[in-house]
Amino acid sequence: MDIAAPPKESLAAWAHRRLFSTWFDRIVTLVFGAGVAWVLWQVLGWAFLGAVWSAPNSDACAGASGACWAVIEARGRLILFGLYPAEEHWRSALACLAVMLTMGLSCWPLFWHVKRLAALWVAGFGLFLVLMRGGVAGLAPVTAEQWGGLSLTLFIFCGVVVAGMPMAVGLALARRSKLPVVRGCAGGLIDVVRSLPLLTLLFTAAVVVPLMVPGWLQGDKLVRVVLAYALFFACYQAEILRAGLQSVHDGQGEAAAALGLSPAQRVFLIELPQAFRNTLPSTINQVVITFKETSIVTIIGFFEVMASGNAALGSGDWGRAFIEVYVFLGLVYFVFVFGLSRYGAWLEARMRRGQRH
Amino acid sequence: MIRSGFLSLGLALGLALSPALPAAAQQGGQLKTVQDRGSLLCTGHNGSYLGFAEVDDNGAWQGFDIEMCRALATAIFGTPDALQIIPVSWAQRFPALQSGDVDVIIKVTGWTMSRDTELGLQFSRPYFIGPFYVMSRKDIGATAVADLEGGVFCVNSGTTVERVLADYMEANGISYEPLAFEKGEELRAALYAGRCDAIAGFGPFLAATRVNAPDPEAFEILGDVLALEPEGIAVRQGEDDFLDVVNWMVSVLLYAEQEGITAANVDEIRAAPPSPTVERLLGVSPGIGERLGLSDDWAYNVIKAMGNYGEIYDRTVGEGSRYALPRGLNNLWNKGGLLYPLVLD
Repeated sequence: MDIAAPPKESLAAWAHRRLFSTWFDRIVTLVFGAGVAWVLWQVLGWAFLGAVWSAPNSDACAGASGACWAVIEARGRLILFGLYPAEEHWRSALACLAVMLTMGLSCWPLFWHVKRLAALWVAGFGLFLVLMRGGVAGLAPVTAEQWGGLSLTLFIFCGVVVAGMPMAVGLALARRSKLPVVRGCAGGLIDVVRSLPLLTLLFTAAVVVPLMVPGWLQGDKLVRVVLAYALFFACYQAEILRAGLQSVHDGQGEAAAALGLSPAQRVFLIELPQAFRNTLPSTINQVVITFKETSIVTIIGFFEVMASGNAALGSGDWGRAFIEVYVFLGLVYFVFVFGLSRYGAWLEARMRRGQRH
Repeated sequence: MIRSGFLSLGLALGLALSPALPAAAQQGGQLKTVQDRGSLLCTGHNGSYLGFAEVDDNGAWQGFDIEMCRALATAIFGTPDALQIIPVSWAQRFPALQSGDVDVIIKVTGWTMSRDTELGLQFSRPYFIGPFYVMSRKDIGATAVADLEGGVFCVNSGTTVERVLADYMEANGISYEPLAFEKGEELRAALYAGRCDAIAGFGPFLAATRVNAPDPEAFEILGDVLALEPEGIAVRQGEDDFLDVVNWMVSVLLYAEQEGITAANVDEIRAAPPSPTVERLLGVSPGIGERLGLSDDWAYNVIKAMGNYGEIYDRTVGEGSRYALPRGLNNLWNKGGLLYPLVLD
């Protein structure tokens, strides 16, 4: 049933009704309006009008009233690419784009099939690895120790979510299993991992494992860390999904069984899609937290974007411009996290379509 | 520098694991392992430690500790480029050495008894004497800590520095007014705002504090040493051949400074060596390389590529850099410092 839209109100009429209708409203509007304008003016003055855009070091900024954006001009490449060799920065940039494109495409409903998604991510990660590692097609090899900046942050984030999500589904299903051993193991694993600090888990994966395990089994440090992080992510996400599965009415499973669907079909066609839809806000939450927490890997010597930001301001030339570096880093995080949030909102609206009557 | 939080984690891990050293720590032969690999794995930092490990605009490492890594790589391979700097955090350095992620720790690491005896590593002779100094406002006109009698000292509450300062002041009968702050940022802000006459701290920290001040010229690091922490280069326990190379690398840098041999004049001196020892040092007559398992011109290569100890100090943390950290105790023995070369016979 369609409801006719209310008649459009002009902006002036709206402002009069909502902001200036009584004397009290007028005063509140004026005071807050002036406050907001003052803050905006200050920010504008700092960020643009009084800013220094180009300088050999932060001495030139000492007398300026505004921001020292020259630090971004001089050190921006270090922030974005970390220790990656300077002449190969284009590869790191392309690798970043490849991962962002893969992330973007997997948000597109056309790719929402297990096979297409898998192919997309294999291709995306493959391209990323070829570009970053080199050693093929005439690209100079670059060891993982030299990876850094935004491309490393994105790699860790995507690796964790892409590897962690299937693990989470597995754990959530195992925890609801009718077999006590499977159920107990999954529950035990989730509870143990959740009660460990992430830092300890990552430190163990990066630093302690090589002391315990023979060389051929160690694998790459970055891979170990991403897998440990993925396990941590999976344990939280599994509980979110379990909540979603519990919110699906038993009758649906019974109805599916009555229609002759196999148990696997029942789970993957009926229950899981609804569980995902019902838990979408918490899932997006978890993904956003994961993105922001990737900066924790700096403690085990990875030069992700936060660490390279610290390296960028950590020089005699630029130590005073730390606010600008942190603002820049904040913007980088904001772009990704805000994008994720908006995508989540869009996804929710889209999924609600089926329920609107 | 001793850091309590993560350090204790690292120590605990190292303690727990030291009896079970992996295959990477086999007795001896470490020099051969490094030579076969073709590059030295040395510690960097997860970010930046001003003056000692920083990253330049192109993503290349620089700083005093990095130059020591480069000198060691030059001693072994003849070129400073046969080096991989592995970024590690403070907490990670000892486990990273044990697991073979790095060959050597050159990371402002104090030679302490617990590290030496419990962590399965051994230290080289100190290559840097970490001093605790006082930095005061220049307009006060103090040239020694005693001139600051009755002054206001900003300190971080509950740190080693607070105790070191109190001990020194008491021992020397100087009265002062401590003003304690919880955080380093607050401390710096208070100093810059002129709320205190002086601050005490680890030398490199003071140099970094000064360089980040609105006007670095307004502050001066005084020569009086409150306390010191000798920093050594750490290798795994039992790698004696490798430790020999490290020790003699440091010694050669110091000897070159003592004899006035620099990167600029080393070729000249090599052509006409003034003494048999210099002759041996620069590989004109044999002996210096073979006994260490290196080539005879290794010391020449190090001096040619990196300069002597004084040159390295000067361009990274000393007067030639923005930090202008006084040589102080890190000067040679005959110039009022604590450093000396061993005997090259």
